[in-house]
Amino acid sequence: MTTAVAHPEPHAASGHAQRGISNPILGMLLFITSEVMFFAGLFAAYFATRAANTPWPPAVFAHILDPLGPIIFATILLIASSFTCQFAVWSIRRGDRRGYLRNIGITFVLGVVFLAMQVYDYGLLFSEGMTMGSGPFGTTYFTLTGFHGAHVFGGVLMLGVILYRGMAGQFSAKHHDAVEAVSLYWHFVDVVWILLFTILYLI
Amino acid sequence: MSTSPRKRPASEALVAGGVVFLLIAIVGLVFWSGAGQALYPPKAATTQAVEISRLYDIVFAIAVAIFIAVEGLIVWTILRYRRRPADVDLPPQTHGNNLVEALWTLIPTVIVLYLFAISAGTLTTVEAVSPNPDVRIHAVAGQFQWKFEYLDASGTVLATQTRPIGEGGGMAVPVGRTVYVTLDSPDVIHAWYVPRFLFKRDVVPGQTNHFEFVVNEDEAGQRFSGQCAELCGTGHRAMLFDVVAMTQADYDAWLAVLIEAGNATPPPAPSGAPVLNLVAKDIAYDTTTLDAPAGVPFVIAFKNEDVPGVPHDVDIRQQDGTTVVQDQETIDGDAETNYTYDALEAGTYTFICSIHPIPAMTGTLTVQ
Amino acid sequence: MATHALSPAAAGYRGGVYEWLTTTDHKKIGIMYLVNSFFFFLIGGIFALLVRTELATPGIQLFENEHVYNEAFSIHATVMIFLFIIPILAGLGNYAVPLMIGAPDMAFPRINALSFWMLPLGGILLLAGFLTEGGAAAAGWTSYPPLSERGALSSPGPGQDLWIVSLVLIGTSSILGGINFLVTIFKMRAPGMTLFRMPIMVWTILVTSVLVVMATPVITSALVMLFIDRNYGGSFFLPDEGGTAVLYQNVFWFYSHPAVYVMVLPAMGVISEVLPVFSRKPLFGYKAFIFATAGIGALGFSVWAHHMFTTGAVFLPFFALMTFFIAVPTGVKMFNWVFTMFRGQLTFSTPLVFAIGFLTMFLIGGINGAFSASVPVDFALHDTYWVVAHLHYVLFGGSVFGVFAGIYYWFPKMTGRMLDEGLGHIHFWIMFVGFNLTFFPMHMLGIKGMPRRIADYDQFAGWNDWNLLATIGGFLIAVSMLPFIWNVFVSLRNGKVAGDDPWEGNTLEWATSSPPPPYNFDRLPEIRSERPLFDARHGPTAHGGHGGPDQEEAPKLLEEDGHDDQGPTA
Repeated sequence: MTTAVAHPEPHAASGHAQRGISNPILGMLLFITSEVMFFAGLFAAYFATRAANTPWPPAVFAHILDPLGPIIFATILLIASSFTCQFAVWSIRRGDRRGYLRNIGITFVLGVVFLAMQVYDYGLLFSEGMTMGSGPFGTTYFTLTGFHGAHVFGGVLMLGVILYRGMAGQFSAKHHDAVEAVSLYWHFVDVVWILLFTILYLI
Repeated sequence: MSTSPRKRPASEALVAGGVVFLLIAIVGLVFWSGAGQALYPPKAATTQAVEISRLYDIVFAIAVAIFIAVEGLIVWTILRYRRRPADVDLPPQTHGNNLVEALWTLIPTVIVLYLFAISAGTLTTVEAVSPNPDVRIHAVAGQFQWKFEYLDASGTVLATQTRPIGEGGGMAVPVGRTVYVTLDSPDVIHAWYVPRFLFKRDVVPGQTNHFEFVVNEDEAGQRFSGQCAELCGTGHRAMLFDVVAMTQADYDAWLAVLIEAGNATPPPAPSGAPVLNLVAKDIAYDTTTLDAPAGVPFVIAFKNEDVPGVPHDVDIRQQDGTTVVQDQETIDGDAETNYTYDALEAGTYTFICSIHPIPAMTGTLTVQ
Repeated sequence: MATHALSPAAAGYRGGVYEWLTTTDHKKIGIMYLVNSFFFFLIGGIFALLVRTELATPGIQLFENEHVYNEAFSIHATVMIFLFIIPILAGLGNYAVPLMIGAPDMAFPRINALSFWMLPLGGILLLAGFLTEGGAAAAGWTSYPPLSERGALSSPGPGQDLWIVSLVLIGTSSILGGINFLVTIFKMRAPGMTLFRMPIMVWTILVTSVLVVMATPVITSALVMLFIDRNYGGSFFLPDEGGTAVLYQNVFWFYSHPAVYVMVLPAMGVISEVLPVFSRKPLFGYKAFIFATAGIGALGFSVWAHHMFTTGAVFLPFFALMTFFIAVPTGVKMFNWVFTMFRGQLTFSTPLVFAIGFLTMFLIGGINGAFSASVPVDFALHDTYWVVAHLHYVLFGGSVFGVFAGIYYWFPKMTGRMLDEGLGHIHFWIMFVGFNLTFFPMHMLGIKGMPRRIADYDQFAGWNDWNLLATIGGFLIAVSMLPFIWNVFVSLRNGKVAGDDPWEGNTLEWATSSPPPPYNFDRLPEIRSERPLFDARHGPTAHGGHGGPDQEEAPKLLEEDGHDDQGPTA
């Protein structure tokens, strides 16, 4: 008894708590943590490789890193999609299913367009003879953007699923953990791109 | 303990204490008798190694003290506090004690800080490099052989020792002089390790490592075995080398001979002897079949087109691939030589690179 | 769900093979983890015996060439680390954690099943390397490039690729498992089970899971880069093409050092459960223990380069200092364990005997590690058999003894039957002697200069006797498994019936039936301390002992010990 008396609020954060964030969202946050560490490993490799190779980028490929080229549009699209994704979350929290579907639909389309632009960009690079095998620059460039692209692809799939489930009417103001989780993931993918854009194109 | 509701017989504590004392005595006996020598490093051969050995002694003394104290406590506890049939009531439910927790956090912290401090001190000594070393050696470790280039102060190669071990082989150094070694690898990571130097350093491709040592004066005439300590493939355990300590005079003579040998042109092919051509590239010969006439000496004009640091040779063995018939010296990458072989009886033999039997750098020599 | 929980003897729970293959029950998955891990323990053990047999005497006897030898020790280490120790501890956690916190199951039961099934798949992929041209991976379990790259003398065959894929798979399994543990621990605790009332086992799994979630993805990135180098023309680790060889080591050890704690913390958790129960005392310094565990976890991320002291590419003093510091929380734990037994009433059941084995051997593993923390001494010891001795004293003397303590401790809960005590003691003593015979001589070999990973050695180097001794010890360890296996098979059918709580346990798993019903509990005892069952058995006043005048025995003490940090964390 003494213990219980000593702690008037021991149950506050315990129990099969329905309070606080839900299991799927916590799970997603932890998953994102692990993804952050994965990209941290790649980024560390990028900086180490870059430090060991001068000039960076090699002169032949310098022109592809024009931040004001098509890549800026892809970047703007992806950032915009993060906003529409968040609008979708706010919509469903209010119970606004139409608004949710509209916003998540836009997000989905923006994601697809981003991927298409990346594929197009890769095509251009290949045509200029830049591949994974083009020395450290090609290797790091394609590895970083490639893994980001793969994550965007995964995110688009998830968006597709919650779009479909939304159309099937499975989400409501109370029950939409999947939407919250996917939006977290989408924001993460977006943030990774902003970092990537910064380190690859700006600095 | 007097507060405990059940008094344990004092004899139990005596027995437990006795056993602990016995264990300590055994540990003491092991070291006093010299059997503990097995846990000491070999005799240090360089001034750096002497420092490391001294550090080891301190760490070792602390380690043994901690080992005896804690294991003794464990043994004493398990002997002293076994549950007896009379133990029905619970023992005192001690949940902890902040004072002792603080103590056994603080004391180990002090010990490790001390260990760190003396380690850092020794590290500075071991890592120190003099501005004008007496001898400069560039050691190159390739899969799977060492070579040692002797450099002058400007970094120009004076002579190259391609025989890492054996009679006339090894990395010769004068005693009592600073020897500055740089390390490079053309392929994978190796490590330069001499147990009696208590020292190793990785040989990393794309990164030139370096270190310095001075062999103790009383070691002149000694041969220290060394070997690669970082897994480098199938020939890893065969990457042996010697460091040969010499007096300055012997060393000077030795180096002069090596320089002389380096300047000598490769032996001309004996006129009239048949000459076979063989090229090695990418750890493979350019052919797997050679034909030679029986009963007369012959020559293989051998060219190693691999990068410097990757040695090859052409030995002749019986068909089993292991029984040596005729042995040749290895040559370094980007070099060529004429190997002269004695007359062979007609038959089928194996020619093989002794450095790279795996993957099969080998072929069939037909003598008829 | 509720109805199930109310009918623990639900028919079909002891279902057939199909039931096991499709189960999402954490207990069955936990048991499958254990069985799978022991299978790979057997395989890894066979490779170890092959290696020891080759090294028993100088010369090349057993293997046709060094390449096969390199495969043998590479696969031995990979299997033992990634398919035995890490999974078996995850398995014990899988079984115990939901029970210990009073949860019906893990937070994500299906992901739990997925985590498990990735392991045998990964194992099969790894071993499939032996069927490929060039054989299995042979670049050591660390697989440093450029040796693990595609050079003719390095690792040209697909075995190395299979190794990479297998490790990525196993790593993903670990990450998913870690996330599952964390969500379970944070969200599924029974009412009253505050963080600072959780069993230490749960705490160690918590810290382990944080390490897994944060460190394992980093090795995945290293493996992915290596794969790209090998198969898509990448040049991350190829110096000839502008890459950096040592980069891999940095990324690899950033994972693999924390991984050492992944391999040992849960074993520490096990013995932190076993020691109090068989001493009839609470764990000494419960909170200190938790902080020490967290401290080890945090410091674990700042010591990776102590594996790289000889590369000439790391800042030595920093990593040396951090490495020394990590000895402090480990020492705190050691003293807490010993003082848990101190003035207790010890019953030498098999779990306690193995736990004491852990204490005595892990101590050596800690002490001989301090030698390598001292950088100049490490220049002598690195990559010699000393390191092999050190890591086995930590991972075998520590983790494996801890694992067996856990197996003997929870076997009654898992099966409802007791393991035989006599056979258990025989198992312990043969293993204990065999273990020390195998690994103690490696100290001597290492300090006298025998490098790791060599198939042969100079017969005049003075290493023959120690090597022979180590080989004999290795076979003794193998022999010690026989009474264990016999014990398990016999006890499953004819063992003494365990009952709910054969050991007078402290934690919640002993409050339910043995084996527990699906969803674990019909009802839970009140949880007012880290020993709810002890409280139920003796009443809360028992915390104070029986009115002894000693200050430490006053009921106040738990509060003093438990108060300070309760607020914000709870």
